[in-house]
Amino acid sequence: MVNWNRKAARRAAMAALLLAPAGLARAAPPVLQAEQSDVATLPAVGAHWVLPATDRDAYTIYDADAGRILGTLPASILGNIALSPDRRTFYVADTIWSRVDHGTRQDLIQEYDAHTLALRREITLPPRALAVYKGQDFDVSPDGRWGYVFDMSPATSVTIVDLSKGAVARTVDIPGCALVFPWKQNGFSSLCGDGSLTNVGYAGGDTPTVTHTAPFFDANNDPIFEQGLVDRATGHALFVSYTGKVYAATLGQKPAIAAPWSIQAAAGQPVAGTGVQEQAWRPGGKQPFAWNRASGHLFVLMHVGTYWTHKTDGTEIWELDPARHALVRRIDLPMPARGIAVSGDAAPLLYATSQDGTMIVIDARTGAVRRTVEAHAQSMIVAPDLPAGNG
Amino acid sequence: MPVSFLDTLGEAVTRRLAARSSRRGMLGRMGAAMAVAPAFPLLPVRRADAAPAPTPNPAATLTDFERRAQSTDPTKCTYWRHCAIDGVLCGCCGGGVHTCPPGTEPSPVSWIGTCRNPDDGRSYVIAYRDCCGRNICAAPKSCGCNTADREMPIYRPQASNDIIWCFGTASTAYHCSTAAIIGQAG
Repeated sequence: MVNWNRKAARRAAMAALLLAPAGLARAAPPVLQAEQSDVATLPAVGAHWVLPATDRDAYTIYDADAGRILGTLPASILGNIALSPDRRTFYVADTIWSRVDHGTRQDLIQEYDAHTLALRREITLPPRALAVYKGQDFDVSPDGRWGYVFDMSPATSVTIVDLSKGAVARTVDIPGCALVFPWKQNGFSSLCGDGSLTNVGYAGGDTPTVTHTAPFFDANNDPIFEQGLVDRATGHALFVSYTGKVYAATLGQKPAIAAPWSIQAAAGQPVAGTGVQEQAWRPGGKQPFAWNRASGHLFVLMHVGTYWTHKTDGTEIWELDPARHALVRRIDLPMPARGIAVSGDAAPLLYATSQDGTMIVIDARTGAVRRTVEAHAQSMIVAPDLPAGNG
Repeated sequence: MPVSFLDTLGEAVTRRLAARSSRRGMLGRMGAAMAVAPAFPLLPVRRADAAPAPTPNPAATLTDFERRAQSTDPTKCTYWRHCAIDGVLCGCCGGGVHTCPPGTEPSPVSWIGTCRNPDDGRSYVIAYRDCCGRNICAAPKSCGCNTADREMPIYRPQASNDIIWCFGTASTAYHCSTAAIIGQAG
């Protein structure tokens, strides 16, 4: 057997050698050609793009359907981003030191082309103290004209930037108040320490119009979270308190604020109070809320805990219908999450970030986890708010 | 218009204060307010400072943090003074509970918390001063804390622990956080 095999092998080898030139010529892959280095560009901003703050130096652009990175926008540990309503520009509001941790301080808005991610323009801001890590530090008006930059020095003010001119229009003091929640047009509101809103109307010129609402929430005993949500197309806003009361408002020079309702009551659970040993389902985390434009549904990171656990990671996401004050669904998370965001479309994806940097992508229609991504994600995560009918 | 609003606010706060607080409690809170007063040069904010703060809890109703708090290891998040600290503990970074690591600079202003010492059962006012001027300390994850007893949103900045308090320092770069005792809570 062995001998026969050897002979057969030898004959086969001889035959292969004889046939080789013709056979090789047919089967050989083509020689690889020299390549030119080029640079990728991005398609139009997609409904399922999401930008988690990553590590401490960027927002990373993901296509959540494919679960892959499309590009990177540099931003410091405290930098904020916003997408222009026409989807052509990413704005980064940031503070940069010329020598990393010292030197000349530069406060600026950077404009990046959303197609190429090329740095197109930088708008110098007056000295500001960018002091907190929150999405509500910076936003763009729904018409794309104005940028609103929250300043804290530690006195508080908002710098209004004319984005069409690339120049600061003016800075408005908002004593005792903080953050920016844009109106449908020409203005923004801020949350105040006495439980009210201050409302700054500005459509150009020298003088903004500043009004105040009466206090509508108890800032001492049940303050509302900083991470209120705004539907920029309508000027509607949702604010949620530590105990889980939802205040719906229509922002403007004279905001209309509806009576609050309880997330827990909507879900058939005991309403949470302010007891430090009172276990209840409560909202919590670093970015605990998200709002889907298509359905109008509110998503809230929830955990079981006592009062003063408003920063505790959520173990579930509750989907609520603010119009009916009703629970739609409770979604179990595969791991606790500290921040969430949701896409704006009718087939929404829900994004959650965990302590270990994982980004969880969930189909909001079923609650099923689509994928988990090792994203180096921080708690802040931005799902571009794409205006309806715009592309 | 804004002036009349502020007057109204000031009056409301003062009346509420008078209606709700004892003189001794007032002194304690004023002391706490003075600790952070330089940070808030605008009148309405000062008035807000003087508004009644949430009072420390009696022993019967301790918070979860207070029930688990310890007084032996200041490099742990459970150390009693860390009842509302958000950041990296300077004790893990070459500094201490009230000491900034070499090369950094303490923030001259801070926010304040009220924490209960399990050894004596008393509550103390704590100044959470940040150490500034170097990028964030790369301590182990166990040194990164985020506790929130009596912690308030940024529109109550004197009780908000998300703010990086590197105001008035040469650089606003955040390195780590300390927890210095200011005095006994009122």
